Amino acid sequence: MQHPAIKIENLWFAYGGARVLDQVNLTLPAGEFLAVLGPNGGGKSTLLRLLLGLVRPGGGLLKVLGQDPGQSGGRIGYLPQFTSVSASFPITVLGAVALGLVQPGFSGLTGWLNPAARRAEREAALLALSRVGLADQAGRRLSDLSGGQRQRVFIARAIVSGPELLLLDEPTASVDGKSRHELMALLAELNRDMTIVMVSHDMSTVDGCVTSIACVNKSLHHHAESRLTPAIFAQAAGVDLRATCPVELVAHGAVPHRVLLDHDHPDCCGGVHRHEKKDGGDAP
Amino acid sequence: MMDALGFEFFRNALLAGLLASVICGVIGSLVVVNRIVFLAGGVAHASYGGVGLAFFLGLPVLPVTTGFSTCAALCMAWVTLDSRERSDTVIGVLWAAGMALGIILLDLTPGYNSDLMSYLFGSILAVPQSDLALMAGLSAVVLVLAALFSRGLLVMSFDAEFARSRGVPVRFLHFLLMGLVAVCVVLVIRVVGLILVMALLTIPPFMAERRASSLAGMMLLSAGLSTLFCVVGLYLSYALDLTSGASIIAVACVGFVLSLLLPSGRGRGAA
Repeated sequence: MQHPAIKIENLWFAYGGARVLDQVNLTLPAGEFLAVLGPNGGGKSTLLRLLLGLVRPGGGLLKVLGQDPGQSGGRIGYLPQFTSVSASFPITVLGAVALGLVQPGFSGLTGWLNPAARRAEREAALLALSRVGLADQAGRRLSDLSGGQRQRVFIARAIVSGPELLLLDEPTASVDGKSRHELMALLAELNRDMTIVMVSHDMSTVDGCVTSIACVNKSLHHHAESRLTPAIFAQAAGVDLRATCPVELVAHGAVPHRVLLDHDHPDCCGGVHRHEKKDGGDAP
Repeated sequence: MMDALGFEFFRNALLAGLLASVICGVIGSLVVVNRIVFLAGGVAHASYGGVGLAFFLGLPVLPVTTGFSTCAALCMAWVTLDSRERSDTVIGVLWAAGMALGIILLDLTPGYNSDLMSYLFGSILAVPQSDLALMAGLSAVVLVLAALFSRGLLVMSFDAEFARSRGVPVRFLHFLLMGLVAVCVVLVIRVVGLILVMALLTIPPFMAERRASSLAGMMLLSAGLSTLFCVVGLYLSYALDLTSGASIIAVACVGFVLSLLLPSGRGRGAA
């Protein structure tokens, strides 16, 4: 039986005292493209760090690809936030992508001792680069590339190990509009082979290729049904958008923006403003 | 230059400069790309406590200082393990505490210590043969460790968050790097003194970073630049009767300004 890509039950997490995430439930089938939205400080990035095993949950069940977080190694591809890499680091594009093949544990520290493995790494890195359309840039210095190109290099690094699940933290932040469009087209193509979870506070990135949306603001509401349908389009004109998820950019616009159906989950996004009291347990 | 080479103290000084250059090229590059220059400065100044301790106990300076600054570096590594933002105050405290400890211990040591200044400003022209052997041994240890764990150090330096997500033992690497910095600092103190150690750790790697296309290339280039600065600085110091450590740093600073004025040499050939 195939595991869901992500299974979360009654998860909570706290930095010190206050809970950042509470009563989180999510079952994400393999093959989905999930956009995780929500206000800054709402717990989006914390959720990603939990999935990666970088922080441990306070309680609840969390399985990624059927395993405990942090156990899956190269089966999970990860794109950290844009700012985590120094712009002037002396490394070639190919070298940066090859680092995505590092082995976990102490065996990964001494990898250069095996020349045959290094050759195989270079070939895999070149393949990943051609997949993101940058094979011709392999020998250039990473710092000579544009922001959009660099982001695609980091996607190549994330997919070079052939992952089943791709976790992206704000992939379209700090790239221009055209690059953003190309990036989303690339992600849509990658989604044919792997499950994708993308954290974003930028609503304009959520376009047709996203198959479901999770709103995270302390709790999580999964809009699994929210495929873009004519019915939702039709609804968009008449609905008071601010009463649904607090998607400000969408709230200012009209069709063809995606509009999520209203729901009465109290902790989800805009709902939290209506009443503070939480009555968890109603899994979406 | 040739007549200067006739003196043993000058040959020793050149060898010490060469050793310090190689070690600073490797460790300084890691310090710069990991953005731990402030931490390295803390280790360099705290190591003065080790100098004071050695005088107080009447033990050889280099081994005691190496042990002391390694302990100080590991303390700082522990403090900075998870939150690098909040820890700079603690580094500042350790920085000052190490220096104060060194001075107090020297105060408590009977007799006048004329050698004191040489650890602040360097005494490369007075490096004895025995220290040279110890320096060579420590350099070899640092280089072997750095080479052995080069892959891990590269992965962490490039993107620690990504490395952590892949299960690379980033905490171990952080301690390792700080330990290497400590040994490197002790070696360089002999050459230029702990006041000026930061220049040799940062100027050559900074100049090399923009021109190299790999971390190893950056290390090689900065070791070469550092050697050049040491040789030219030593010769000027000999010819013009200047303080050797300050001469080396002055040459490095001129090189630094020149490198800012020259094009950064992207795509080779331009530099």
